[in-house]
Amino acid sequence: MQVALEPFYEAYASGLSVPVAEFLSPIAPAHNPGRLYDFYRASNDDKLEGDVRYALKYNKSTRMTNRESGAWVDILSGYWRAVKEIIKADEAANQGRLGERQYVAVYDAWKDLTSTFIKHMSSGLLPTWAIFTLYFTANHLRKIAIRADEQLSKSKSAAPTTGYSDDIVSTGPQNQKLEEAARVFNRIFALCLGDRNPDMADSRKWGVYCIANLQFKTYFKLKAISLSKNVVRSIEAQSDLPAFGLYPRAHRVTYKYYLGVLSFLQEDYKKAESSLQEAWETCWSPSQQNKSLILTYLIPCRLITQHQVPTAALLAEAPRLERYFGPLVSCIKRGDLTGFDKALADGEPEFVRRRIFLTLERSRDIALRNLLRKVYLAGGFEDLKEGQSEKDRIRKSRVPLAHFAAALRMGGQVVEDDEVECLLANQIYKGLMKGYISREHAMVVLNKKGAFPNTGI
Amino acid sequence: MSLHPPPPAAWSQPMQPPAYNAVHPRTTMQSASPPAPADMAPKKVDWPPAVRQYVRRAFDPANAIAGISQADMQERLKDTIGYFAERKSTDTIHWPTFPLPQQLLADERSKAAPGVHPNGFSHDLQPTPVNGADERTNPQSKKRKSQDAAELQAEQTQASVPPWRKTNLASRMTYAQGHHDKRHKKNAPDAASKFDQAELDKRRQRFQLGNNNNTKTTPPWGSPRKDEDEVPAGPVVGTNQSLEKSYFRLTAPPKAETVRPLHILKKTLVRLAEKWKAEKNYNYICNQFKSLRQDLTVQHIKNAFTVKVYETHARISLEKGDLGEYNQCQTQLKALYAQNLGGNPAEFKAYRILYFVYTCNKTDMNDMLAELTLADKSHEVIKHALDVRSSLALGNYHKFFRLYLEAQNMGAYLMDMFIERERLNALANISRGYLVVSLRFLTDELGFDNDETCREFIESHGGQNIVEDKGDHQYRVKVREAASQFDSLRAAAFSKVDIKGQI
Repeated sequence: MQVALEPFYEAYASGLSVPVAEFLSPIAPAHNPGRLYDFYRASNDDKLEGDVRYALKYNKSTRMTNRESGAWVDILSGYWRAVKEIIKADEAANQGRLGERQYVAVYDAWKDLTSTFIKHMSSGLLPTWAIFTLYFTANHLRKIAIRADEQLSKSKSAAPTTGYSDDIVSTGPQNQKLEEAARVFNRIFALCLGDRNPDMADSRKWGVYCIANLQFKTYFKLKAISLSKNVVRSIEAQSDLPAFGLYPRAHRVTYKYYLGVLSFLQEDYKKAESSLQEAWETCWSPSQQNKSLILTYLIPCRLITQHQVPTAALLAEAPRLERYFGPLVSCIKRGDLTGFDKALADGEPEFVRRRIFLTLERSRDIALRNLLRKVYLAGGFEDLKEGQSEKDRIRKSRVPLAHFAAALRMGGQVVEDDEVECLLANQIYKGLMKGYISREHAMVVLNKKGAFPNTGI
Repeated sequence: MSLHPPPPAAWSQPMQPPAYNAVHPRTTMQSASPPAPADMAPKKVDWPPAVRQYVRRAFDPANAIAGISQADMQERLKDTIGYFAERKSTDTIHWPTFPLPQQLLADERSKAAPGVHPNGFSHDLQPTPVNGADERTNPQSKKRKSQDAAELQAEQTQASVPPWRKTNLASRMTYAQGHHDKRHKKNAPDAASKFDQAELDKRRQRFQLGNNNNTKTTPPWGSPRKDEDEVPAGPVVGTNQSLEKSYFRLTAPPKAETVRPLHILKKTLVRLAEKWKAEKNYNYICNQFKSLRQDLTVQHIKNAFTVKVYETHARISLEKGDLGEYNQCQTQLKALYAQNLGGNPAEFKAYRILYFVYTCNKTDMNDMLAELTLADKSHEVIKHALDVRSSLALGNYHKFFRLYLEAQNMGAYLMDMFIERERLNALANISRGYLVVSLRFLTDELGFDNDETCREFIESHGGQNIVEDKGDHQYRVKVREAASQFDSLRAAAFSKVDIKGQI
């Protein structure tokens, strides 16, 4: 056992959370694929606690108090039991006879480990940095829970489902384990947020945002997005948190990203834009995956709030963004409504999955605006009156309705005349076009100046 | 390390309510009587109410005949019922007047006693004595074994056999056998053992039954039953014959007498639909439907008929704009459709889309869109609903009011829920886009039936003085003058959506 714990001592001596978390991982490191197995072989069920206790006590390199080492004995023993289940599951999987509840057993063991960790954390036996180690443990719990749920749902669908539950509608929990895990995360979050230690250097409050992010991730997966609002609310109600800027960049970016997406889903595009913008600016530049995630929501936001389309260069950075938005953007620019409709329909499954479909749909207005603007520009200028110079030339501000109708139909749209008027009235109502429609003259009378605001004419 | 030890094999099997053990309702008589019917159970378990009544009469001490032992009577009873059951002709016998087994025995014995039986083989006849009884009491029974009789029986057994019986027979039998010994040993039918342990734990938590140590030693379901009224945990099989029944919220397990069996419920649905057409008394109909749904639920009836009941109720509540009731039905229907029990899933998917248009719930709408398959999208009614959605999303009120007039089924009723809101929206649009329009134009664009109703709408929504009479039935509406009015009314209409809408 002494040998098996050697990496732990090293990690612990560093006083950093990540090396310890790496030791307490459910996956063996790449450079030592047999590590889990070696660790498992170092003890057995009967002697486990004694072994670990003895090892920690007679180890010279780490100095911890008796009570602290007691806590680590619990944690390391919990870890050993989890490793046992992992090895069992792996072996079973390799032999192709994975039992129904194998991953559930792994999950249960890992959950015990997490709970033990929380218990000792809240009694203050462990050093403060261990809160981040706990975060990694909890994150593993999330992944294991997802896997256990997958296995459960598979085994259930394999069994003959007659489905005669008490109610007509059976409400079997689909993500039982992950829901359970979410409650564990809630406890960790409360543990962080509620730390009364006045010494900020030694406070668990530093863990607030990373645990919050873990909760967001879980709630999104569970399709219980609205629960995230509670997390945000309790963070915003907590007045004595350290300044946001002092938190690690990774925590800040992820938190702002989720905050932005939450506002986005509530159709508060202004707030969403500012949060996402902040995430975008803070984001570590080589992190392509994160950047394109942020942009997935920031680009539709901008389309709505500022009628701005992303530049080709920005889209070119990520193939996924190019695929999502490339066709839409070029249709918007051209004022190609039919092309826009097609691009939107083509991307619908993906857009719906990302929950941006209904927002993107609204950018059709901009495509329409661009088309109408083209008609207006093609109308040319009024003839020069006496005493006017080239400089005073003004565009023809009266455009026959038929021209707009023709433009729409040329683009492949099937529209009635009244429908054209309706679309124009809409543009005027939304402030994309200035002017009014005169039915008597079948004309659109546009403002002499700024007929299409913010487009340079 | 698993928290739950693997349950014993017999337990682990069914989440579904499996064997409905003895079919006889628990009465004083039955619980005291030896398990004559239970012995037959493997052959055919469900007895029509008339047969059960007959068995009850046979065991009634008032009907006992001196000299005929209980055991003989039982034997005979078993033979009698078994005989008809084998031929599936229990329905052809008029049980209330059919002689009791003790009477049959007494008759035979009195005939046999003199030893001068006309045919002289009275003893050979003993094993199948029911033959005689059959002919005597029901002379046509042989003739009735014609084709149409068989058909009738098939129909009737279908009507009287609850669905879980039919579909689940095999698993039920194996389960019952696996469970047989245990049941005898334990003496107390352990109804709860058929549920998954985890389910039980959850259930216990839900009801907070007892504290921890208490539940461990004497789980509530483990205690032997003493209460006569207690109904087995399996589904009830109703015996109530009345077509109409008021709804009462259940606070205890239902009694068979108060629950109507499927074939009665089928008649009930027909009756209710007729009544609704004739009287349009919504409160009454809604109440009746709720009791109908309850009867289905307590009997675990889940088939095409269930779907039909929920669909009918949903349509009626839509007609009355009772969204609360509609929502309940819709939730159930969604689950029922998922089991492919027939019905009109497309129609109700379309309603759901329209409903989300009404509630302006973007998250739900997004989930709804995610659910739709390509086949769904090409379906006429769903396509209509999707067009309604997109026309509103794009502000195309012209198209929207077209679609309003084309709505099918109950879609128009749902659209009525938000038509006023959308009219205000369109009016706000028009009042910014035009200075003056003709009244006729507004009537057409806003989907009104005639100019008069259109004018009323405008005047009751802040446009009192903007309709101008030009003479010769020509009216002009100076829309721009009321633009800010329309705008604020529009904003107000969108800010509050009453999703309950209970009447």
